[in-house]
Amino acid sequence: MRLSKKTEIMVGIFVLLGAISVILLALNVSNLSNFSAEKTYQIKAYFDNIGGLRTRAKVSMSGVKIGRVSHITYHPERGQAEVTLTLNPKFKLSTDTQASIYTAGLLGEQYISLEPGAEDDVLTTGNIITLTQSAMVLEEIIGKVMVNLTSK
Amino acid sequence: MILDWLQNMGKSSLNFFRKIGQFSLFLFHLLSGLNYLFFRPRLLIKEIYSVGVLSLLIIIFSGLFVGMVLSLLGYVTLVDFGAEGSLGVLVSLSLVRELGPVLTALLFSGRAGSALTAEIGLMKATEQLASMEMMAVDPMKRIIAPRFIAGIFSLPILTAIFILVGIYSSFLVGSLWLGVDEGSFWSQMQSKVEFQHDLVNGFIKSFVFGIVVTGIAVFQGYTATPTSAGVSEATTRSVVHSALAILGLDFILTSIMFGL
Amino acid sequence: MPNALIHITDLYFSRANREIFSGINLEIPKGKITAIMGPSGTGKTTLLRLMGGQLIPDRGDIIIEEHSIPSLNNKALYKIRQRMGMLFQSGALLTDLNVFENIAFPIREHYDFPETMIRDLVLMKLEIVGLRGAYRLMPSELSGGMARRVALARAIVLDPVLMMYDEPFTGLDPITLGTIVTLIKDLNQALGMTSVVVSHDVKEILSIADHVFILAEGVVAASGSPDELKASDSEWVQQFLHGLPDGPVPFHYPAPDYLQSLRDMTP
Repeated sequence: MRLSKKTEIMVGIFVLLGAISVILLALNVSNLSNFSAEKTYQIKAYFDNIGGLRTRAKVSMSGVKIGRVSHITYHPERGQAEVTLTLNPKFKLSTDTQASIYTAGLLGEQYISLEPGAEDDVLTTGNIITLTQSAMVLEEIIGKVMVNLTSK
Repeated sequence: MILDWLQNMGKSSLNFFRKIGQFSLFLFHLLSGLNYLFFRPRLLIKEIYSVGVLSLLIIIFSGLFVGMVLSLLGYVTLVDFGAEGSLGVLVSLSLVRELGPVLTALLFSGRAGSALTAEIGLMKATEQLASMEMMAVDPMKRIIAPRFIAGIFSLPILTAIFILVGIYSSFLVGSLWLGVDEGSFWSQMQSKVEFQHDLVNGFIKSFVFGIVVTGIAVFQGYTATPTSAGVSEATTRSVVHSALAILGLDFILTSIMFGL
Repeated sequence: MPNALIHITDLYFSRANREIFSGINLEIPKGKITAIMGPSGTGKTTLLRLMGGQLIPDRGDIIIEEHSIPSLNNKALYKIRQRMGMLFQSGALLTDLNVFENIAFPIREHYDFPETMIRDLVLMKLEIVGLRGAYRLMPSELSGGMARRVALARAIVLDPVLMMYDEPFTGLDPITLGTIVTLIKDLNQALGMTSVVVSHDVKEILSIADHVFILAEGVVAASGSPDELKASDSEWVQQFLHGLPDGPVPFHYPAPDYLQSLRDMTP
């Protein structure tokens, strides 16, 4: 089985091209460079209403992305939605951090915004954010406005 | 009338199951001979050259044009909402999740799969496979296995190249021609495209397509009727079955991976 | 027959609902040239395939050197095939390798010989078939006769014990035909291998064969040395050996009465 050198070199280049493409895709196109392989920690937050929040939604602090929503479920005892947040351990949160669900732009998707508190203790894996503000649901707001208008 | 119809139904479904059974036996036989390749890596290199390297040109050009077209198409829709900054997201997500794996696999089946079927079918028709058997060389190991593995190995690489070329060409059209802001193109793309969810799943798809397309191609070649008409039929079947399998599997995989 | 290499006993084989062999018994002597003849479609090539283990008989046994071919597992079968050589009608050269590599192919697949040894072996066999000068050509550049000689060199490169020839005389010009006939005879004598030649070229076969079997309708119809057959008083054997168009083997494929068909058959 003789192979010409050209064939071998071309196959080498081919494999190299593939590897470069995968690396470029991972670093330039996807958010692998932000965080993913790094360690994370999970905390939970309970909301009365999460509106249109989805898993993998952004979690931000003062507009800076610090993590993602990793899991959403309904907690029957509390009668609330349980949202698990996966956060970058670079960012420490005080125990009285407040979590709110906001909408990006008028029609954008929903995300969780955290506002830092004043306590010295920090949240670690498994802890719960107690101060939460549910999502604004457009119909509720309109309903309230209507009630206000008609009651005058 | 109805009886005839029922009989035809029964016959073709029995045929279908027989084909599936034949195919799994074939795959089993194929997989049991793979250790042979560890001793003969050169066989694999030769096949990667003819299956992968020679498909590079068509993949790069297709990626180029698909990327540019996506850019134009996406811009028209997005600019109405003032959201042309999301062009990168639109292009990259469609390429990474769907168009990259699917189009590359379709092109691959037309470029490399059909060639594999015709080559193996002709080797069968000219008794080359039988003569190999009589020389105590198992054609399944010597001929089929290297081609099969080369296909599975090459398709994900080609897919990665296709996606990358597509994204960069759409970026060029978007930023140079349509005036989309360079920063928002990349930053929005990076915040939306996830490595695990999007890229890894895209490559899983491409890997599955590689198994299916090359598997069908070598199977059709190996089971072709050893005449010129038989080989041409097998080649057609190889491309048609591959295309149907790719699109059908893509739906199933997409609904598992990205459904909800 | 004492000293037989191959024993075939009570062999039955059918394909696509057509019975090809219905109880064949024959023995192939060691070190001799045995011819298997018969009209087209009697399954001569099929018999070679059965002997090579590429087909499995419905019933009966084929024993080569104490190994029962139909019941061997794949591994044992491939092992015994290393000691067999087969010349295919088309030559069946590997089209992506040149003449040298085609002949070196079985060596490279089975042994880890140094390059110089492979070269010596290949050139030796090419010299035997008279094509040493053509070692660089690709199969597509060879004429039919040359391709068959290259295929012959490939088949004997590992010095097989048993050599099978499938229609070696078909479609050759008279000179190449003579060469092949001589080669088969010389190889048999020089290397002492057992040769089985399947053919329906009566003249050539009878000139070199030590023993002849004639197959017809799924059984051995006649056998013996060429001289015995020539002297045979069976009408059938005479028709076959002299190529008479009509006789016990009818010219017509079985069909209803001609006039009847003209009236009744709708195309």
